[in-house]
Amino acid sequence: MADLHIDGVVKSFGETQVLKGISLDIRHGEFIALVGPSGCGKSTLLRIIAGLESQSAGDIVIAGRSVAGVRAADRNLSMVFQSYALYPHLSVADNIAVPLRMRTMGAVQRLPLVGRWMPGAAERNREIDAEVRKAASTLEIETLLDRKPGQLSGGQRQRVALGRALVRDPAAFLLDEPLSNLDAKLRVQTRGEIAELHRRLGATFIYVTHDQVEAMTMSSRIAVMMEGQILQCDAPDLVYEDPEDIRVAEFIGSPKINILPAELNGGSLRVLDRDIARLTRVADQPGIRLGLRPEALRLSGADSVLTGVVAHHENLGSEVFAQIEVPGLSERVVLRADPSARRRLGLGATVGLDFDIGDALLFDTSGKRLRPVIEAARAAHQVA
Amino acid sequence: MTRDWWKHLILILGALVVIAPFYMMLSYSLKSPGEIDRGEGGFFGRQEMMIDERCVALRDPNRDEVASAAKRFPGLTDREIRDALITEAEADCAMRPAVFNYTMAFTEAPLLRYLLNGVIVTVSIFVIQVLVALPAAYALAKLRFWGREAVFSLVLFCLLIPVHAIALPLYIMLAKLGLTNTYAALVVPWTISVFGIFLMRQFFMTVPDDLIDAARMDGMTEFSIVWRVMLPTAVPALLAFAIFSVVAHWNDYFWPRIVVTGSRELFTPPLGLREFKGDGDGSFFGPMMATATVIVCPLIVAFLLAQKRFIEGITLSGMK
Repeated sequence: MADLHIDGVVKSFGETQVLKGISLDIRHGEFIALVGPSGCGKSTLLRIIAGLESQSAGDIVIAGRSVAGVRAADRNLSMVFQSYALYPHLSVADNIAVPLRMRTMGAVQRLPLVGRWMPGAAERNREIDAEVRKAASTLEIETLLDRKPGQLSGGQRQRVALGRALVRDPAAFLLDEPLSNLDAKLRVQTRGEIAELHRRLGATFIYVTHDQVEAMTMSSRIAVMMEGQILQCDAPDLVYEDPEDIRVAEFIGSPKINILPAELNGGSLRVLDRDIARLTRVADQPGIRLGLRPEALRLSGADSVLTGVVAHHENLGSEVFAQIEVPGLSERVVLRADPSARRRLGLGATVGLDFDIGDALLFDTSGKRLRPVIEAARAAHQVA
Repeated sequence: MTRDWWKHLILILGALVVIAPFYMMLSYSLKSPGEIDRGEGGFFGRQEMMIDERCVALRDPNRDEVASAAKRFPGLTDREIRDALITEAEADCAMRPAVFNYTMAFTEAPLLRYLLNGVIVTVSIFVIQVLVALPAAYALAKLRFWGREAVFSLVLFCLLIPVHAIALPLYIMLAKLGLTNTYAALVVPWTISVFGIFLMRQFFMTVPDDLIDAARMDGMTEFSIVWRVMLPTAVPALLAFAIFSVVAHWNDYFWPRIVVTGSRELFTPPLGLREFKGDGDGSFFGPMMATATVIVCPLIVAFLLAQKRFIEGITLSGMK
């Protein structure tokens, strides 16, 4: 059992602060995705956890022990790199065996040529060999053991990198965008395999990615990072349905959430100069924003809140996404519709869009979620 | 093809200029002294039997030998016996010019000894250069420490210092230490190669940081990273450096000539050429060129082997 605590970690490069006080508690066996746009500091955080980089302030605690000043090798973590970082001169079997050799054999036993004749070396080599085979069979790469990394495809290299990470029993696995060098089809397949591997091993995974789909599909919790801060860390469905911050709402979800400008005036929520709902118990605020997921919108009649022209549509077979140009909005509104509605969504068709106020997410001027407001709105709606 | 004929012409002319001295060396090493002096006989010479005058002179029979040979030649006068003995000696000393030149090269001078010295010196220099250059280059390329850029500027600055400019101070230092006429004098001044450090540093810059981080995660110390990760990935660059280093020190005439003054035991192959530099009685160009050919051969063989390794190379695609 190894819980991992990140406590107020700050990292500065010169004047610029890359991480602005990150705190995160990771329980044993969790699959945490650190997700965020490039440059948000997620990889830096992972490298600090790994011990490859030192933090400017704050602490990392692994299994109840602070690892400040402990070098990467002694933290008992394994890491899978985006570029796989396999040793090009070693065979697959040797690549996987390296972490075991470095940890369990003495310097003399590791010497090239003569090392294998040292006392105890033969036995250790047999044990290591067995463990390498076990790891290889877990990942179904037994047939590749004699090859060099240069002879492998991207997906196979990725598995070898995973094998090197799981051959010893680390406190946690750190994965730094391990899928981004794979093609789309392989990525989807490997995604499932990594999630399955996590369930089977029951180990802690910390997974860095900029791809919100990977984060949504694999993790038990998602930590959304932006500008050196964790904006929200919750289960994937919570992050999607109940975002704390407008940046989280915009980052998670594909297609992106629709953001409409709105205002609160005299207890009335107005969008595009129309009253949407009456709200009580909230202070008036201009310049708030209303977030609507594409699936929260539905097609409706002529007298709708939003009326616009279909500018583009994408038929994915099981669903249809339509981009609708609404007068008065700078960005197109994206609607997710059933394939049966395809005929109404022809290019240039005028459509009305309606939504349930209960599905809308309200954010204040600074982008923070307005929770009491939406509850009040629902109540007002029901009364009206 | 036809459009580029002039390019090929220029290249061929250039190649001829480069090959010409080698052609002369090989050709002279096969010819008799007479053919060399008269400039005849084409590439191989006529390879007529020639008589080694020195060999005959050495067997010039004295009175005792003539007397002891009297039994073999009954009824002849001493003078006739003497002539017969000389004829015999001439027959024994007759050989083809090519054989003569190469035999002379190996018998007149301890050429094998020189070759061995050359191997000892160049291999020692290269091994120590690598031992110094790899960790230095790794630190300059991949480690962050205060003053790294300044140290690297010093390395670049040292590239600009010509060897001959510091030869005299070096010699004096070695002499004061009592190291002249030792292997150490031949090896020590070259053990730190700034060129090697620079070359390997440039190569290490291209090695992805991820690979080093992976090695750190796997439990390697910085020292093992240098020897277990950087060294194997750097083999192509090391081979390039090896060619520069080995060729430079195998062929070096200047430095061994300065620090090896007495004992022929320490002569390196190029110094062996001096054996046939006859001062008063003319030079033995045939054996001299044979020596030169023998000296050049190991380098050519080594290059051909290394060239094959160059092409195979260790592909770095495992990291991409």
